[in-house]
Order: sequence, then C-alpha cells, then structure tokens
Amino acid sequence: MAYHILLVDDAPELRRMVGELLEGAGYAVTLAADCAQARRAWTESQPDAALLDVMLPDGDGFSLLEELRRVGNGVPVLFLSARDEDEARLRGLGLGADDYITKPFLPQELLLRLAAVLRRVYGAGAGEVLRLGAAEVHWGTGTVRRPGGGEAALTAKEYALLKKLAANRGNIVTVDALCQALWEGPMVGYENTLMVHIRRLREKLETDPSHPQYLLTVRGLGYRLAREERL
Amino acid sequence: MRGRNLRRTLVAAGLVAASAVLVLVLAVAGLLAFIVTSAGAGSSWNASMDELSAALVRTEGGYAFTGGEYLAEKELWAMLVNEGGAVVWQQGKPADVPDRYSLTDVAAFTRWYLSDYPVQVRVREDGLLVAGGPKGSTWKHPFVLDMDVLKTIPFWFAGLFLLALLGVLGLTALVLGRQFRREQQERDFARSDWINGISHDIRTPLSMVMGYAGQLEADPVLPPRRRAQAAIIRRQSQTIRDLINDLNLTMRLDYAMQPLRRGSLHPAALVRQVAADVLNGGLEERYALAVEVPPEAEALTLEGDASLLRRALLNLVNNCVRHNPEGCSITLTAAAEGEVCTLRVEDDGGGGLPVGLAEVGLAPDGGAAHGTGLRLVEQIARAHGGALELHRAARGVLAVLRLPL
Repeated sequence: MAYHILLVDDAPELRRMVGELLEGAGYAVTLAADCAQARRAWTESQPDAALLDVMLPDGDGFSLLEELRRVGNGVPVLFLSARDEDEARLRGLGLGADDYITKPFLPQELLLRLAAVLRRVYGAGAGEVLRLGAAEVHWGTGTVRRPGGGEAALTAKEYALLKKLAANRGNIVTVDALCQALWEGPMVGYENTLMVHIRRLREKLETDPSHPQYLLTVRGLGYRLAREERL
Repeated sequence: MRGRNLRRTLVAAGLVAASAVLVLVLAVAGLLAFIVTSAGAGSSWNASMDELSAALVRTEGGYAFTGGEYLAEKELWAMLVNEGGAVVWQQGKPADVPDRYSLTDVAAFTRWYLSDYPVQVRVREDGLLVAGGPKGSTWKHPFVLDMDVLKTIPFWFAGLFLLALLGVLGLTALVLGRQFRREQQERDFARSDWINGISHDIRTPLSMVMGYAGQLEADPVLPPRRRAQAAIIRRQSQTIRDLINDLNLTMRLDYAMQPLRRGSLHPAALVRQVAADVLNGGLEERYALAVEVPPEAEALTLEGDASLLRRALLNLVNNCVRHNPEGCSITLTAAAEGEVCTLRVEDDGGGGLPVGLAEVGLAPDGGAAHGTGLRLVEQIARAHGGALELHRAARGVLAVLRLPL
C-alpha cells in the first residue's frame, strides 16, 4: 500500500523536485500551490500525510493546520519552512505538527523524516511486523518469534525500548533519550537498569546475544538498531 | 550616519537647555510680578508713619491733627502714648483699647498685637505714636534671622539652583538616551529584517541545488566521477546553508532578539546527543568522534538554552571537520571544574586554528566567513554568562566552552 502525500508549496520548482522525490520513493503525491488548492485536495484525495510550506500566497501553513485540526482531522503534518523563527512560532502555537524541516534540506533527510512520522502514526498498528534477520517482532501482540526458538513475550519496558529504537532505525539513540522514553527522566541512576533491559532484549532478538547483529552498542553514546538489509 | 546623529543630539540638547532657561526666566518674572502687584496689598493698614507723625503737632495744652482724612481712608485709628504710659492723644481709638500701658504692655504690642488689633509704632520726642488697623485685617509676625543663617542663604540658593540644573540635565539625558536607543533598535530591527528576508530568499533556491545534487549523488545510473561531483555540490550547498543559519542567529543574538529559552539540562546528555546527531547525519569515515564524560559529571545540571548550546557544540565539531580535510579524531567532553561546567571539543588533526584568534573571527568585527561559526559559539557562551576559549592542543585545537553552573 502506497501512502498518499499532499505537498503544499508555492514555489513550482520546489513542488516539482519534492514531488519527483516522493514519487521516486514510492509515495502517491498530490500537489497544491496554496491554501485553497490544499483544502480542495484534502477533501478530494484524503492524504495520509501532508508536507506544508509555512508561507503561502493566500495564508500560512499554521492557520491551515489549525483549521484542519479544528474539524478533527488528525492526519500527520510536516512543516517545510524557510525561516528560523517559524520553529519558535510553531512551538508557541502548540499545534500538533509531527515534524518541522527547515529549507534547504537534503532529499534523504526529508524521506527519512517523513518515513519516521508515517511509521510512528501508522506503523504501530496491529499486524505490523519488525523483521530483524530471522526474528520477527509482532507489535500487535508484543511478542518475538524466531524460527525454532518459539515465541517470547516482551515486557512493557522492553517493548518501549524496542519501539524507540525502531522509530529511529539506523540512527544512534543516546542512553539519555532511551531513559527519557522509559522513565521520563534523566539517565542518572538508571544506567545499569537500562543495560539489563538491553541484555534481555538481545536474548530474545539475537541469535548470538553476546555478539549482537541488530541491537548494537555505540560505545559512550547509546544504542542503534541496524538498518534493514536491502534484499 | 554618525555625524547626523551627533547633530541631532546637539540640537536636542540645545532645545532642552533653551527650555530650561525659559522656565527659569518665567519663574523669576512671575515672582517679580507677584511682588510688584502685591506690594500695595497691605497698604490699607500699612500706613506711612512718617506722614501720620508729621500730621500730629503739639500745641499749647494739646495736639493738632491734620491726618483725619488719611486715617479714615485707610480705616485706621491712632493714639499717642507718653513716657508715663498714658494715652495723651487719640483719634478713633476703639473702646476695648486701654488708656494706660505698662512697660511690658508696650513691649508686647510693639511686637505682636494690641488687644488683637494689628498696630504700627513710631517713636517721637513726646512719646510713642501708635497706629492700628481693624482686628483680623493683617497678619503680623516678627521675623528673626540668625546672621550665620543669613550668610548661608547665598549657598542655599546656589545649591538649589545646581540641584534644579542637575534635575533638568538628568531628565534630558534620560529622554535623549531613550530616543537614541529607540532609533538604534529600529535600525537594528530593519537590518535584522533585511538579513532575514535575504536568507529566506536564498533558502528556497538552495533547496533546489541541494535537492537535485543529493539525488544525482545517489543515482546509481551515473558514473562514479559524476556522482562525486554531485556530492561536492551537495556539500558546498550545505556549507552555504550553515553560513546562512549562523548569520541569522548571530545577528539575532547581537541585537538581543533571540530570547534564551532557558531550562534545566544535563551537559552529559547534551554532548552525547550532539555526537549522536553528528554521527546520524553521516560523518565521513576519515573522522572519528568520541564522547568522554567522567562519572562525576553525569549528574551535572545546567540552566541554559539546549538548542543554542547544541548549536554551539555542533559548530565546534563542524569547525574541526572543516579545518582537517584529511581527517582527524574529535573528542567531546563534559566536565565540572568547581562552579563552572566545561564542554570541550578537541581534535588531533593539526590543521585549523590560525595563529591569532582574530583571524578565526573572534575579533569584534570578525567578518571572515569561516569565523561566523566560532563567533556564534562565542556569542552563545556569552549569552549564558560564560566564555569560549580556544587553545592549541598537543596535536590539534582545543575549544572550551565554560558555562557557570
């Protein structure tokens, strides 16, 4: 299933470039040049996510989002902005934006962040499966299946830990960010507990837990879930 | 610009001085006018004792008085008291005014009132001439002043004058200062707006350059040499982006337009996050990045703007990368030294830091493009009440951010 992305930007060249980029990455894309077109596209094509420019000829992206949220539309939105101060404004408005990208951006960065948002919003549904080599993590049941290894249930902390790493797959997540996700506090005091959780996760995920292939340690910094192998 | 300001300041100062003089002149003129117009106000009672005395002449066995009309006109009465204290002559003397006076009586009414009548006196050869007005018509009070006090009066006046002058000058300085600051602020805002507008206009086309270069770089159809060229375009456009970001923030900090979003943060977590960001962003293989946090620094907390401090550390790391194209290892450290938290970024590349700090942009007007990044780091440190130090380390450059805990 290809996600449907609505791209709203008033610069035609940028629209074309990002449009091609998204299509190249396998998304279905609808383009809009201003708020009016965006509103129409929204009702007609019902996108799964939207990339919104902040400055539009007939309004701004923030008010457009406010408008959508008011009618109960919870579709994930990523902002594209060419001004530094927009980020502060966005935070001040307290709008439920899912990400914020400052122009200029690298194509890869945009794709990664869009994928992360989509994974966060839709990817967690029941039936979704995270594949780590031979092991399969079933988010819906919170279990790990390994061929021949039977089924192991994840504890709540292990589940949260794996979720955080999977949402940032391929990237280093610092120990501080992991502790923040698990205990909503700084790392101090939790360092050893975190290591215990990681070791147990490895025992459930890895073929050889003492030589992990997927849940990797980045010394002095944190952990990283190895990127999916391209088949 | 500066000359115009000076002229305007002088003109404004002149205007204020002129108005101060005008106020002074008006005040003096008003005082004089009051004195002149009210000098005659007491004249209904304040009789000319010379005139009265001249009008009273001693005759054989009595007195002849020719000032009757004068007294009537002024609603006065008069009497003559002889050396023995007896009234020997009177004209219109009220009934409640006695006919005999003792020495103490005379002393009292000369100074104060005579049976509540305000009186004036004049000494004559044949006694004391007394002229009185109606009760309650005049306030009479002897005025006594110590000579020493009298002598200090000029100083009092001079002091008050100086005080008033200082007040006027202070007020002027305040008004002018405010006006000057407002004008400067308006200019700063205009400049900031302008730079902001330019960076906004550059960012959209730069998105295109960066976007297509990035796509070409990743295109497997292209020969490796072309893809390497695309990578160079992509990298250079990122450098331009960083410059624009730094320029914008540097200016906002300069004009105090970027308020610090202070919060409690963990320096140890901050350096780890920065290192993770750099590594996640794809640090090339000839660079190594390590983080060192001594155990005792793990629990440190700091009041600061996390995003600005992150930016400062990123700039320092980028600086190491930029000045060591051959590659190097970079070490990030968070530690405490007494009441100061130190965040260090050290490389071993041997490249980098030119001899003087001015050359890397730490001079007040360091406009060198490659110095914008360091200048920004310095500004961020200062905004946190700290400082940036740059040292030549054993094998490379050591940058230390010192922030008060």
